[in-house]
Amino acid sequence: MKIDIMHIAKLARLKITEDEAAKFEGQMQDIIGMVETMPELTSDYTDVDSSRPMELRQDIIMPSVKREELLACAPAVQAGCVVVPNTLE
Amino acid sequence: MELYNKTATELAKMLRQKQCSAAELATSVFDRIEATEGRVGAYITLQKEAAFKKAAEVDAKLAAGEILSPLAGIPVAIKDNICTKGVETTCASKILRGFVPPYDAAVIERLKADDYILTGKVNLDEFAMGGSCENSALQKTANPHDLSRVPGGSSGGSAAAVAAGEAILALGSDTGGSIRQPSAFCGLIGLKPTYGSVSRYGVVAFASSLDQIGPIGRSVEDVAMLYSAIAGKDNRDATSVELKQKDFTNGINDGIKGLRIGVPKEYFGDGVDECVKTAVYSALEELKKEGAVIKDISLASTDYAISAYYVISSAEASSNLARFDGVKYGYRAKNYENLTDMYERTRSEGFGTEVKRRIMLGTFVLSSGYYDAYYKRAKRLQQRIMGEFDTAFNDCDVIITPTTPTGSYKIGERVDNILQMYAGDMCTVTVNIAGLPALSIPCGKDKNGMPIGMQLIGQKFAEPVLFKTARFYEKLHGGLFDAPKL
Repeated sequence: MKIDIMHIAKLARLKITEDEAAKFEGQMQDIIGMVETMPELTSDYTDVDSSRPMELRQDIIMPSVKREELLACAPAVQAGCVVVPNTLE
Repeated sequence: MELYNKTATELAKMLRQKQCSAAELATSVFDRIEATEGRVGAYITLQKEAAFKKAAEVDAKLAAGEILSPLAGIPVAIKDNICTKGVETTCASKILRGFVPPYDAAVIERLKADDYILTGKVNLDEFAMGGSCENSALQKTANPHDLSRVPGGSSGGSAAAVAAGEAILALGSDTGGSIRQPSAFCGLIGLKPTYGSVSRYGVVAFASSLDQIGPIGRSVEDVAMLYSAIAGKDNRDATSVELKQKDFTNGINDGIKGLRIGVPKEYFGDGVDECVKTAVYSALEELKKEGAVIKDISLASTDYAISAYYVISSAEASSNLARFDGVKYGYRAKNYENLTDMYERTRSEGFGTEVKRRIMLGTFVLSSGYYDAYYKRAKRLQQRIMGEFDTAFNDCDVIITPTTPTGSYKIGERVDNILQMYAGDMCTVTVNIAGLPALSIPCGKDKNGMPIGMQLIGQKFAEPVLFKTARFYEKLHGGLFDAPKL
């Protein structure tokens, strides 16, 4: 099976070189070859398990991490905001 | 015996009987770290100063006659994918180097309330992806039983630290075997708890439907003690549930009379070393002699579990790791042309090869046209595997298998053979896929003199059954921890 590694890398927001792409493609083919052995089952499948509903917490205001503590983790900050490159010309 | 090689249970008693102080215990462990860490390489970050400060606090509380948790004053190593407020948390990745979390994981909050002592943050395969610690972007860790061999992974630093005497206990995380496999390779006891029994709030997510945090130690009682401290409901992890039992050391000496042990033939196939099979079979024979009932069972879909595991875990990882974009925290590339270029360069420079491989595998199986062929197929298989376990547990109370198909291997031996590396997870991934609890305990040595692990699998929330079975086997052998000569 042909896997378009450059396309997958683009979707995954990764930059890879042609050399890396060739290596990754071989390895991915090996992995997909293994995965292909999974049996085709026709059982019903739903993403949500209705027998085990997830219990969500109440939507109430409570103390959280302070803004300045979170901003201290960011690589670039200005005037209380995270700095990113221009997104609009 | 040196303090650093004792169990937490013994040390808790000694602290209360004034046979040692928390400061003396911390000194013993940090002296040991000083002596052996250069060869073991378990720690990414050490917390010596804070540890001694905390030890003094514990000694003062004990002197004042306060009733403390059994974990008070016990030095514990924490896997470096668990957030510790004010202490760097790297996931052994360049992308998180320098990240100092502004909050504690739920498990850390609980341990702090119990007056534990943080020795430091220990190595792992980058983002917990791997089984040898060789995927750490920061350092290599060696197996204390043979420094030329891997400690296992991904919680290899946790296991190596406890085996070497560089910590008394450790926390790891387990997505496909990452607590049990290094515990087996390093001759320790490690528990992957039932999905939902421990809050993952503050553990850096890898595959959220499979991830669990769990304890690694030198005795069953130690592991039960640390599990008691971290288990229970937390509103910040919607999967976590309230547990009826609080102290899991209760009942561990109940014995195994009439215990029905299922032995699935699929876990003793060609891929498993003869010496591993022999060790597990002989342990089963011992348990049978002591009153357990051994039953042959079948878990027919086991052979496909690795495939389902790599599809599901990689799909979830590709989604979870999308957050590492160089914007909010962690590494950001120095040179870039625009926002997309910044994302791409940050991620390409920040992630290691195995992480990129899994992100791309996950992206592929979720991409248009392949979702049904791979992801849905894997999820259906997951349901079948769960069903097979449910059926098996109609006839048995615990299932016993090898933890790993082989003992620890040489550093570098498998790095170029990805499928062989992935096959090392064959005995452990089914447990995560089915959300069950499983405990690895030592049951012998392989032909290279390396420890072999036996895996005890229980029904959901049947940790007490695992503890009492393991404890019984441990008592038969007068203890299971064999301190390596370092």
